[in-house]
Amino acid sequence: MLPEFASINPETKEEALAYLACLEDVRVIAGGTDLLVDLKRGGSCSNVVDVMNVAGLKGLSVAGGDIVIGSTVTHAALSRSTLLSDAARSLSVACGWIGSPQIRNMGTIGGNLVNASPAADSIPPLLVHDAVLSIESKAGGREEALEDFIVAPYETSLKPGELLTSVHIKGLPGYREGYRRIAKRAAWAISRLSVAWAVREADGRFIDVRLAIGSCTPMPFRPRNVEGFLRGKEKDDSTIGKAVAMVIGEIRRITGDRPSFVYKLPVVKDLVQKALRD
Amino acid sequence: MKKISFILNGKTAHAEVEDNEVLLRTLRERFDMKSVKEGCGLGECGTCTVLIDNEPHYSCLTLASKVNGRDVKTVEHLGNAGLLHPLQEAFISSGAVQCGYCTPGMLLSAYSLLMKNGDPDDNEIKEAISGNLCRCTGYIQIVEAIRNAAGICKHQS
Repeated sequence: MLPEFASINPETKEEALAYLACLEDVRVIAGGTDLLVDLKRGGSCSNVVDVMNVAGLKGLSVAGGDIVIGSTVTHAALSRSTLLSDAARSLSVACGWIGSPQIRNMGTIGGNLVNASPAADSIPPLLVHDAVLSIESKAGGREEALEDFIVAPYETSLKPGELLTSVHIKGLPGYREGYRRIAKRAAWAISRLSVAWAVREADGRFIDVRLAIGSCTPMPFRPRNVEGFLRGKEKDDSTIGKAVAMVIGEIRRITGDRPSFVYKLPVVKDLVQKALRD
Repeated sequence: MKKISFILNGKTAHAEVEDNEVLLRTLRERFDMKSVKEGCGLGECGTCTVLIDNEPHYSCLTLASKVNGRDVKTVEHLGNAGLLHPLQEAFISSGAVQCGYCTPGMLLSAYSLLMKNGDPDDNEIKEAISGNLCRCTGYIQIVEAIRNAAGICKHQS
């Protein structure tokens, strides 16, 4: 059973921000796939602001070379977007793996980010695309890189009264991109390990490599030392072997040794190798 | 309380719902749509699936206020005991129904698929019902039923 709460359905951003500024013990609902589960499992709040009808949070657009994704765009819409499958393929692939068809029709990119699960499928590809988030409150707005927004598992920098309004990413034309994940089964499962990549190559050399690893460390991360190492290097087995070893070294540095590594590290090795070799 | 108006199985519907009321409860208790089942109540099993604007949603995790102005379909939209939909006929003839608890949700996920894709392959069918769990028949008969129904629907149109 859900606890008792009052719900409000604003239609404009200003209205939503005004409610968030003045209501006590308030939480934001979009698709509801995380919030309602939390409330049914014993969580509580007195007020719920449903932002799904807010016009200013919807839709995908292109502005000044950036792709702007409204925070209430659903995973289903992202996985079907031709704009994304052309310019941010790893993200559209990842969104097609989230939950089940029902969850993808309900859940939103904003919800996925604010929930900040270490296993969130949308996060590794967004890191690859240097995602910057627009966050607004009645007092004003700020922008923050996704990398800084998630401060710990299930914890973000969002302060009371603030609302994640849009996600800005750079398209990566000329890169080959992808997202692969390993889960207990193919569909309707939480990622046990995931890798997003975008790779630009020319004349047998890596020009720019972007990697993000999810479900392995407390927060999905980009091994930037490995990306730096690969820049300009010849694309051969020796380079790729060194890069893979560096990724694993980075994971060990972040988390220390873990019992799950017996399984996870060989999988990371395999996924990163494939991403670089393809 | 909130007043909502929506289309339910093709007809205008009005209701006054609690702020914390989920659509599952509205449909079962206010509109007597007992085909909509509560299973896990946490958006995992899919037996509460309804179509909102023809796309499957978990009604156990959908606040009723969200469907104001939208189109909602339950399995009652498909057919009735006197005249079943080809999908329902196919579920019976393929042995895709055992305890029946998952069946309304399965049918709606399948119906939504066939509206968009009249000739799905087995992978597309499996993908479409991946958010609906069945613990009796398994999935082979269900996939077969949907494949057969697609053939019949195509033939009829």
